[in-house]
Amino acid sequence: MELHDMISGFEPVAERLTLSGKEQRTAVAVDPETLDVELASGAEGHLVVVHEKPTASTLRVHLAEGASLVLNELFVAEAFTTVEVDQEAESRLKLTAVELGSANARYTIQLRGAHAESEVNGLFLTGGEEHAELTIRTNHLVADCSSRSIARGVAGGKSVGRFEGMVYVAKDAQRTDAEQQNRNLLLSDQARIETMPQLEIYADDVKCSHGATVGQMDQEAIYYMRQRGIDEQQARRLQIAGFVEELVMHCDEESWCSAVSELLEAKLHTI
Amino acid sequence: MLKVKNLHASVEGKEILRGINLEVKAGEVHAIMGPNGSGKSTLASVLAGNEKFTVTAGEVEFEGKSLLDYSIEDRARMGLFLGFQYPVEIPGVTMANFMKIAVNEQRKFRGEEPLSAAEYLKLMREKAKVVELDTKLTSRAVNEGFSGGEKKKNEIFQMAMLDPKLAILDETDSGLDIDALRIVATGVTKLHTSENATVVITHYQRLLDYIVPDYVHVLYKGRIIYTGDKSLALKLEKEGYDWLINDYKE
Amino acid sequence: MAEKNEKEILQDLTGEEYKYGFTTDIETDLIEKGLSEAVVRLISEKKGEPEWMTEKRLEAYRYWLTLEHPTWAHLDIPEIDFQEVIYYAAPKPKKQLGSMDEVDPELKRTFDKLGIPLEEQMALAGVAVDAVMDSVSVKTTFRETLKEKGIIFCSISEAIKEHPELIQKYLGSVVPYKDNFYAALNAAVFSDGSFCYIPKGVRCPMELSTYFRINAAGTGQFERTLIVADEGSYVSYLEGCTAPQRDENQLHAAVVEIVVEKDAEVKYSTVQNWYPGDKEGKGGVYNFVTKRGLCRENGRLSWTQVETGSAITWKYPSCVLLGDNSVGEFYSVAMTNNFQQADTGTKMIHIGKNTRSRIVSKGISAGKSQNAYRGLVRVNPGADNARNYSQCDSLLIGDQCGAHTFPVVDCRNRTAVLEHEATTSKISDDQLFYCNQRGLTTEDAVGLIVNGYAREVLAKLPMEFAVEAQKLLALQLEGSVG
Repeated sequence: MELHDMISGFEPVAERLTLSGKEQRTAVAVDPETLDVELASGAEGHLVVVHEKPTASTLRVHLAEGASLVLNELFVAEAFTTVEVDQEAESRLKLTAVELGSANARYTIQLRGAHAESEVNGLFLTGGEEHAELTIRTNHLVADCSSRSIARGVAGGKSVGRFEGMVYVAKDAQRTDAEQQNRNLLLSDQARIETMPQLEIYADDVKCSHGATVGQMDQEAIYYMRQRGIDEQQARRLQIAGFVEELVMHCDEESWCSAVSELLEAKLHTI
Repeated sequence: MLKVKNLHASVEGKEILRGINLEVKAGEVHAIMGPNGSGKSTLASVLAGNEKFTVTAGEVEFEGKSLLDYSIEDRARMGLFLGFQYPVEIPGVTMANFMKIAVNEQRKFRGEEPLSAAEYLKLMREKAKVVELDTKLTSRAVNEGFSGGEKKKNEIFQMAMLDPKLAILDETDSGLDIDALRIVATGVTKLHTSENATVVITHYQRLLDYIVPDYVHVLYKGRIIYTGDKSLALKLEKEGYDWLINDYKE
Repeated sequence: MAEKNEKEILQDLTGEEYKYGFTTDIETDLIEKGLSEAVVRLISEKKGEPEWMTEKRLEAYRYWLTLEHPTWAHLDIPEIDFQEVIYYAAPKPKKQLGSMDEVDPELKRTFDKLGIPLEEQMALAGVAVDAVMDSVSVKTTFRETLKEKGIIFCSISEAIKEHPELIQKYLGSVVPYKDNFYAALNAAVFSDGSFCYIPKGVRCPMELSTYFRINAAGTGQFERTLIVADEGSYVSYLEGCTAPQRDENQLHAAVVEIVVEKDAEVKYSTVQNWYPGDKEGKGGVYNFVTKRGLCRENGRLSWTQVETGSAITWKYPSCVLLGDNSVGEFYSVAMTNNFQQADTGTKMIHIGKNTRSRIVSKGISAGKSQNAYRGLVRVNPGADNARNYSQCDSLLIGDQCGAHTFPVVDCRNRTAVLEHEATTSKISDDQLFYCNQRGLTTEDAVGLIVNGYAREVLAKLPMEFAVEAQKLLALQLEGSVG
């Protein structure tokens, strides 16, 4: 599905999106300068944000108790964005960000109420002389919250990709369960990947882990594919596509997934 | 179909195969047995073209062509299939997409038109039945999160899809419970015709209850030291390898 | 053979009877506090250094003047007035005690727990010991063995005079004075330190340990160490002191430089237990250290550190993997208790092809302390097939402390494979209960669990050192569980 066809199917919003309790809605914002999103207790929302122009953008999200938001953000232009999500007790956030080239996205998730859950998936794909930055900061301010931040990066050409992750666990935020993962593929010798998966922890009864890798292709997988008659070049491309699509494959809105997959494939052919 | 003559191969300077001679004709089933480290899996890898190994001497003729001159993928397209002992996981790449590319690459190699989406789906459903593979698995990433049994079934499913002339199955029975073993072995038997050939590498006789071999070879220290019929497998099961390999101990 | 030598020497040392008694007061040689060109010149003059060395110091000093105190570490550093520091005091004017009876009982108890031999205790506590302890015999025995092999092992001041060609070639070659604030300060005012040269193809027959440990007690606050392992040589070098140093010097800024030439291997082990301050966080040493080694082709450098002391630790022993196939390793246990703060880790700079590095860091935080791992893994464009594996674990004891991980991975080569993993855990109540049920006190249980946690690193230490380090960890934890 084409990106614009997909977008046109959703309710457009600008500046403000408010969902009252029990309300379920899907909305889309294109190049918002500022957008305030307020989900009342028990509301369920799906918001798509697309950046088509190189602008600066601020998104503030508040999830009241038990509210749940799926947020998909896509960068097709070099936008600078700041996204702050405040989560009350038992609220849920599922965020997927895809940077198809130069962009700078900073996410701050504030877990303020017990049993709040957040899942942030971020991806950048750069070629040429592009420069992508992705920052995911999760602040566990109270006890009994869980978070997962999964970031992936692919850099080819002379591009630079940079990931900065931070899991902050405040004093007394006991029984925090936080996971942070970052994996990267470098496709050329002039490209550069920088990653900073950080932890800052002030409570002892916590389960926090992080892992980061920068690596090349899995040679075993390439061999396996070639044994099935797929040539080496294609096996490599297939693997890279798998690596990036894995992150968006499980997103909730199918039309969104397929539109993003197509854009990813198209982008991969250019780097 | 396959003629292996005096094949020597090494990995990191260490010689593993030390003069293999083997001939496989269409319609035949061969079993290769032997103690751990005798070179069974290496033989399979070398025939498939795994670049970890270096062929130091010998030749291999496959369908009248010199097999060793071809790349891994061309060997596969010519009809050589290797069932992996440890099938590789490929995250993010769905089984369906993976097989579609593989099938169409083979067709292109043979000068045939690629399959349409509908034809492909039909073929996939049909072949999945051979190994009682849940078609849901085809929408998952290749081997990722598959159980041991599912991985092996998936190998035979791919074999069915690609319809090879020669299938080499490397320890396909390892890690399988009795039901899965039956399904996998029956699948292999169903795929066997007078036009193709199968080489099974195994540790245990039990697989050979289902896949009845015409020849059983014993590989030891990189050479085939004994060849017999299916009764040899039973004898090995009972008596072990000692009676055979004593003469070869250094 | 090597071990035998060392053992014999140890036996001689411990078997001998010492005459304890008063010695004449060591002449105190102090200069005015504060820092200026005149002070730098004075230090150089007092050490009888050649003109080129004085110039080197001045150059560093002038550069230092242009710098500001670094603030990037996860440390709360009180403002340091560099004009309040005394930059030259040699030999160190330690208060001489008449006998062990005069030693602070708490200190003595610590010594006993660590199992430190009496004569060493006296040296460490500052009890006056006669010439035997001055180790003329020990020193000469060691020196003769080393001399036979062509190994030079002496103080850096001596080396400046005796081996100027080596010093001029290597000093500042790995850690130039421009490296950072404290490297510049050290280059300007370093008091003394050690120099070690292992000639081509020589395997140092003993671990340069016991000798050094005893003598290290007197080295000052701006220590400078230079180790050069020439082609194909090997040395295992132990630094530090397992007994607590009641040092009144608050500011320590040491520099260690290691040159690992082609095919050479250096193992450098540290156990650092400077005074951490009291339970209220008063006092304690500020320890700002720059340690770096440079590896040429096939060279191998392994850092092992057990850091339990100091109020503030700022230390990143690093490896520059310049030569193809060179290997860098960093194994660290950093433990903080009470109000201690540590910001420590490593840098692995991959420049040559097929270079490999491995990082294992185990942080332990207790009390109200803050403990951070900070690391950099960089792969330059030409470093084909570089490999790094990093593992950074944190253990928290109690809910008043902090454990932090700040890694940076910077990769510019597509053939590199880099992996970083980190976990955070605590000692579980189940583990403690289990140990209690088997009759262990909670303190013993914690000691046991911590040692198990740190084992991978402790195993890298030479035997005798490892035993003391283990005891030290348990000791340092006292009062952290309750």
